[in-house]
Amino acid sequence: MKRRIFLIFASLLGLSTQVQARKVITFEHNFKALEPTLRAVQEHLFPQGSRIPSAKEMDLTKFLFETMKHSSFDRDIKDFVFEGARELEKREKNRFTKLSIELKEKALREYEETSYGSNWLGRMMTLSMEGLFSDPIYGANKQEKGWKSIHAYGAFPLAKEKYLGV
Amino acid sequence: MYDVVVIGSGASGGAVAYTLCKAGFTVALVEKGRLIKREEFSKDELAYCRRDLVTPNLFDEFHTIEEKVQGKWVATPTHESGWSFWNGNIVGGSSNLMSGMLHRLHPDDFRLKSKYGEIKGANIVDWPISYADLEPYYTLAEELVGISGHYEKHPFEPWRSTPNFSQKPTTENAVSSLIDKSCKALDITPLVTPRAVLSQKKGHREGCYYSNLCGSYGCSSGAKGSSREALIYPALATGKLTLLTNTHIKSLHTKDKDKVSYALAIDTITGKEKKIKGKIFVVATQAHESARLLLNSHNADHPNGLGNSSGELGKNLLFSGGGAGQGELHQESLKHIKFNDLMTTGLFVNRSILDWYFIDHWWYGKFKGGSVEFMFEHQNVISRAIKNNYKDGSLVWGKELGERVFKRFTTHKNIRFEIFNDWLPNDDCFVSLDPTHKDKYGMPVGKLRVEGHPQDVKVGKYIAKKCEKVLEEMGAKNIYSSVSSGASQNLVAGGCRFGNDPKTSVLNAHCRSHDVQNLYVADASFMPTGGSVAYTWTIYANAFRVADKIIANLLHTLS
Repeated sequence: MKRRIFLIFASLLGLSTQVQARKVITFEHNFKALEPTLRAVQEHLFPQGSRIPSAKEMDLTKFLFETMKHSSFDRDIKDFVFEGARELEKREKNRFTKLSIELKEKALREYEETSYGSNWLGRMMTLSMEGLFSDPIYGANKQEKGWKSIHAYGAFPLAKEKYLGV
Repeated sequence: MYDVVVIGSGASGGAVAYTLCKAGFTVALVEKGRLIKREEFSKDELAYCRRDLVTPNLFDEFHTIEEKVQGKWVATPTHESGWSFWNGNIVGGSSNLMSGMLHRLHPDDFRLKSKYGEIKGANIVDWPISYADLEPYYTLAEELVGISGHYEKHPFEPWRSTPNFSQKPTTENAVSSLIDKSCKALDITPLVTPRAVLSQKKGHREGCYYSNLCGSYGCSSGAKGSSREALIYPALATGKLTLLTNTHIKSLHTKDKDKVSYALAIDTITGKEKKIKGKIFVVATQAHESARLLLNSHNADHPNGLGNSSGELGKNLLFSGGGAGQGELHQESLKHIKFNDLMTTGLFVNRSILDWYFIDHWWYGKFKGGSVEFMFEHQNVISRAIKNNYKDGSLVWGKELGERVFKRFTTHKNIRFEIFNDWLPNDDCFVSLDPTHKDKYGMPVGKLRVEGHPQDVKVGKYIAKKCEKVLEEMGAKNIYSSVSSGASQNLVAGGCRFGNDPKTSVLNAHCRSHDVQNLYVADASFMPTGGSVAYTWTIYANAFRVADKIIANLLHTLS
C-alpha cells in the first residue's frame, strides 16, 4: 500500500479524531501537547549507553520540532506523527510517559504488532536518525558525534545554512 | 526580442545557449528554479536528498502516474505516491546532480529496427541520422563538458575521431583492481567508465576533490560537467546571454499558424506574468515536461497541441530498462586488496562492462542487450544508517540498533552494479494532459503512463545474472539483484520523436517541429529509441548539433 493511501486509510479507520480541529490548531500547539510522548518515544528508541549518541544528548526532540515545522516537511507525515503519538497515548491510557523502561518496551512492541503502530514507529526512527546523522548545522549531530560514532563522515563542504536557505 | 529563447537550462538548454552566444546571437535562457552557485553547494543530505529542496513541492507541482491495477489504468498524483518525476529544477538542471557515468551510443543504436527487426508490441524505428552525424558532437561535448576517461578498443565501444580522452580518469578506489581481476577470471572485459568529472583543472573549473558524495549533489569545485559550470557560465561571459531564473513558461503562443511569437512566462516568486519574445524558441525542459508544454500550448490552429499534426506528441516516452544489484565486501573474505584501501572514501569505481551490449547466445538467441556500471552503494550516511532498522520483520532499536549501525559502517562496504538496457517504445508509455489535475499555476499537469515492454525485463535479468557472477568472483556476500519494468524517473526521453516523415514524427532530423518553423526541441524528447546507456552524453551531443542547425537557420533568415 502506498504511503499516503496508508495514511488516509488509517485516518478513515478513526485513528484521527481531529481532522477538522487540525485546521485551526497551530503546529506549535500540537507539538507542545504531544512533546512529552514524542520525547519519551525517541529517548526509548535511542537510549544512553548505545554505540550511537542518545536522543537526550543530541536533543532529537528539538530537531523533530524544527524539521517538522519547516515548509519542506511533508504535511501528511506531519499529521501522521501527531496521530500516531495520540494513538499510543490512547492505547496506554495517557500514561506512556510515566511507564518504566520495561513497560515502555512492552507498550511499544505491542504497538508495533499493529501495522499502523509499526509504520509510525518506523517513521519516528527515520526522523530521529535524520537528526543524528545529518549535517551538524541542524543541531542534532553535535560536534559530528553521530558521524564519529559509526566512523562515517559527511562530505565537505558542510552546509552554511539550513535547508538551503529555503 | 531575443534571437533565441531557450526554455530549460539543463544539459540541452545549456549546450544550445552556449553555442548560440558564442556565435554572437542574443539568447534568453529561461529556468524555473533558482541559481545555486558553486560556492553555495554543500553535501547537506537532509536538504538535497531527504527533503528534495531542489525540486518543486509535490503539492504545488506534480504529475499523475498511470499504472495498471487489476487490468485497469489508475492514475495517482505523485503527491500521493511520493514518486517524484522532477529532476533538479535549478540552473543547470539535473546535470548538477548526475553521477556523470556516461557512454556514447553505439552506431547500431541508430538503426535498431534495421539491425534487429520488429519486436511485437514495440514501436521501434531507425533514427533519421547516423552515429557518424553525431560523432563530432560527442567529441565536442567530451571536450567542452569535460569527460574524463581512458579509451580501450572493444567490440561494442563506438569508434571515435580522437585517439583518447584529453582528461585522464579520476582516481580510483582499490576495488577497481578487484573488479578487473574478477572480470578477467570470468573472461569478461572491464572498461574504464567515461565520467563527466574533471580529474584536472580546466579553465575556470577545478579538478575533482573526491568528496565521497558526487551523485545527487552539486559540485563545489566545478569538476562535474554540469551545464551550469561547463556551458552557462562561459555563455554569460559572452555578454549575449540573459539568464531568467525563477521563471516558468506556461505556454507558447503562435501569431501565424507556423510561427511561435511569444512564450507566456510567470515569475515563480511574484506570480506576475509576462511575454518573452524571440525569433526562435527552443524547448529543453526534460522529455515529459517538453511534451506537456507543447500539449498545453494548443490553440485553434493546433487543437491537439503545438506541432502535433502527426498525433505523435507525447507518445513513445522512454525510460531506461534494467535494474540493479548489490553485494557486501567483508573484511574477512576480501580478496586481492586491503580492507583499509577498500574503505578509503571519495575515490571512484569507474568500471563498466559492454560485453553484453549485443547478445548472440546459442540458446537465448540474438538480441539487443545493455551496459553495466559498477559503483559503491551511495555513501549518504542517513540513508545507509536507516537500512538497519529491521530484523526478521521487526524494528530494531536501542543498543542493538547502535551495534548494527556501527557494524554496517565499519565491517564491510557494499558494491553495486546498475544495468542500462533499452526501454522499448510502446503504446502504453506516453505523456498526455491530465483532464482534472492542475499545478499551482493553473496548468494541466502531465499524466504519464509508464508501462514497460516485457523484453526489457528479460534483457535486464539476463545481464543481472552475469553481474551477480562478477560479485561472487569478487568474494561479495549477500548478493541480490532487482530487475523490474518500473520507470526510472531520472532517465526520461522520447515523446517528440524525430524523423523524416511529418505523419509519423513530431520533429524533423534537425529537431525542428515539422509544423512550426521556429520551434525546436533540444532535450532527449527527440529520441525514437534510447540505446542502452545513460542519455546525458547523447543529450549534450545532440543539443550541440541542434544549435548548429539553429545558427544555420538564423543566418539563412538574416541573409
